[in-house]
Amino acid sequence: MATIHDEIDSWLAADLHGELSDSEQSVLHAHLLDCAGCRKTHQEIKTMNKVLEETLAHQKPDPAFEQRMLAGFRRRAPQRAGLVKLLVDLMRLRAVQITAVAAALLGLVQIGRMITGENATSRHERYAEAEVAAPQPPESRPSQADTLGRSGGIAAGRPQDFAIEAPPAATSKFQQEGKVGATTVAPATAAQAKTTESDASAASSESSANAEETGKSSVETPAPELANRKLIRNATVELEIVSFDSAVQKITAFANEEHGYVATTDSEKQANGKLRGQVVVKVLPENLDRFLQKIRSLGELKNQTLGTEDVTKAYFDTDARLKNAHVMEQRLIDMLKTKTGKVSDLLQVEKELGRVREEIEKMQGELKYWDSQAQFATATISLAEKDMEEPAAFLIRERAQLALYAPDVEKTYNEIKSLASPKVQITNAQLNRDYSGRVSAQMSMLIVPEESDGVIGRVKVFGRVENFQTQTQRTAQGGNAGAAGSENARTKRDKVELNVAISREEQEQAFQQTSLRIRTSSVDEKAKELRALAEKQGGRVRSSTFSRDPDGRAVANVSLRVPMKNYLAIMQSLDSLGKVENVSVQRQDRTDAQIDEANAPADVSIQVYSQGNIVTEESGLLATLRRTLAQSAGAIMWSLRMIGVAIAFLAPWAIAIVGVIWIARHVIRARQSKP
Amino acid sequence: MDPSERETYQAAIHGDREAFEMIIRAHSRTLFAIAYGILQNREEAEDVVQDSLVKAWKTRWRVRDPEKFPAWFATIARHKAHDVFRKRRTVPLSEQVTEPIEPEPANTSVLDQQLHSALAALPELHRAALTLRYFEEMDYRTIENSLGLTNGALRGILGRALTSMRKQLRPALAPMD
Repeated sequence: MATIHDEIDSWLAADLHGELSDSEQSVLHAHLLDCAGCRKTHQEIKTMNKVLEETLAHQKPDPAFEQRMLAGFRRRAPQRAGLVKLLVDLMRLRAVQITAVAAALLGLVQIGRMITGENATSRHERYAEAEVAAPQPPESRPSQADTLGRSGGIAAGRPQDFAIEAPPAATSKFQQEGKVGATTVAPATAAQAKTTESDASAASSESSANAEETGKSSVETPAPELANRKLIRNATVELEIVSFDSAVQKITAFANEEHGYVATTDSEKQANGKLRGQVVVKVLPENLDRFLQKIRSLGELKNQTLGTEDVTKAYFDTDARLKNAHVMEQRLIDMLKTKTGKVSDLLQVEKELGRVREEIEKMQGELKYWDSQAQFATATISLAEKDMEEPAAFLIRERAQLALYAPDVEKTYNEIKSLASPKVQITNAQLNRDYSGRVSAQMSMLIVPEESDGVIGRVKVFGRVENFQTQTQRTAQGGNAGAAGSENARTKRDKVELNVAISREEQEQAFQQTSLRIRTSSVDEKAKELRALAEKQGGRVRSSTFSRDPDGRAVANVSLRVPMKNYLAIMQSLDSLGKVENVSVQRQDRTDAQIDEANAPADVSIQVYSQGNIVTEESGLLATLRRTLAQSAGAIMWSLRMIGVAIAFLAPWAIAIVGVIWIARHVIRARQSKP
Repeated sequence: MDPSERETYQAAIHGDREAFEMIIRAHSRTLFAIAYGILQNREEAEDVVQDSLVKAWKTRWRVRDPEKFPAWFATIARHKAHDVFRKRRTVPLSEQVTEPIEPEPANTSVLDQQLHSALAALPELHRAALTLRYFEEMDYRTIENSLGLTNGALRGILGRALTSMRKQLRPALAPMD
């Protein structure tokens, strides 16, 4: 019985705890009889069992333990109120959880839609559809008369009032008459009535634009029913004819033929003797088209427009209101006749009667005006004789610009002024002097053409000419220069206008600029020599500076101006002063050949310098050491910055990872407590 | 598991407070035994049981199978007790490694002390099995259920626990024979 012997402890324990079956018990007992070691163990186990029972019994919880636990539980996990409990319990169901999540997602999507304005775009699409429907051909209109009204409303952004006013009028008329022409006009009348009634707004402008379109289409397809409508027809024609007078005669004849009359004529004579004018003719509307056909034979048709305004609705509205006003008037008159009541009441009635009558007159006037307008169509004919644009004459105008440099501006100014004579008019002369004492002058003069060359020549001698420009302009009088027949026109020369600008020589820009450096040991001396040299060559020293720094370096800047003819000589003599370095020359070649090159100024700026001491502040052991330290400090600061940047990059990730680990640990713990 | 017991668990899982309180009455001693097995301190064990009850109530909906309710209950208590044990260990580290905390002052005899130190030396599972058996005199089947053990495993565990105890306590027990 090796098994029992090896596991004697568990067998004995089970025996003591009463967990052995009968057969097991007998097997155990048999083994105990055989094995002395196990018998000893049996004794020990028995003793220990007793000890354990005794000892651990002390540690057993007292009888009130359960009550304590229950009380603690009730205190720490209080019962929830009904609704909250229900909700919490509900939320624990998987189905409810899924539904809640789905609802939350749906809500988010809806909010997103609201924010991104997806609805707005869908409205846009509807608007686009309405727009497409609007310009369809008239044959398909009848069914869409009311769509048109709505589309106008949507476009104007105020659907309510338009939708209420327009469609009933449009549809009812359409149903009565059932004609294509009439239906296309119907929305137009509605819209126009609205326009006259209310103040013009963005909405009405939109709808009247619509109305015009439909109005035009109705003209193209005239119908017999037009007779009992109030239509005002207008035409404008622009014609080019040979003779104005004969054209007017013919127009009068045509008007008589068509049972019309010439209402007004006016004419205007142009500078070149040609006539231009306008004739207004009134003819019966039905004859207008034939009349226009005839008119065309008069000359070349430049432009023609034909317009129709439908006032039917407004007319009948006013008519109805007029009838009402008549009834009102009659009632008021009756009241006056009975003459009962107080005087003040009667006065009130009188006043009201006056107002009603005024209104009646106004409406009657309106109706009459419409009648007269509708009775006759108006044709406005603009007439212009051929070659309207031919010029009468040409004028040649010459303008000259002269810029002078003079040594003494004031003297030159006075000299030019003294040239004034009946043939030379000085129109403007001004002498300017600014803060720094620089003087400049500007003059304008008008010279008779035959004298101009001589005078300009004399002015040029007063100074050095910097710039001279002339400009000739040919202008046509009384017409267009490019028009036909211009070669017949006379040509006239106008006075020459001369503008002179005088400035001091100093201000003249150098013709050639040269800069160079001369290295020498004695700067001071060489600078003096340079001045002497410049004076010998007829030049002037414009500016000079001298400086010496602590290291013993001396620098002198000298700027010279010499005439161009002496330029080469001075450049050669510079070589004697020292080593010439860095020579750069800049020349301004002007396109105008007027310049006097030999006397033009040339600027030479010379820097004379010495080397000074070799060792300076910025070199040597200490300076090197200092620079090295500064650089290393800079490098350390730079690396610190890089570390900072790295931390800034990594910190969020580190925080995120720690957070994830923390959450994961909690999740794992929660899982473990669930079997 | 008999059907009425199963129904009680099911009701408790669905939030029936009365059913849960019934379970508390039936199982809190088991939980105490487990906690005591780990901590060997009555106050701490009681606190652990209390915490475990509240936690079990709050997370009861996690249990999908009512059969496993007792074992799950015991797991919560074991984790809670471990938490307390870990916190305690970190305070006076040197003492706790080899010895449990001071046994209760009422029993200070040499044998008791030796018994406690022998208990402390046992693996935690053995200790829990022992306490369950000697506190509540539970049968092996119930203990196995509570600790989530397989059928018949407890016998071996108890056997090994007793062997090691016996070997440690042999000198003290000898005079008692």
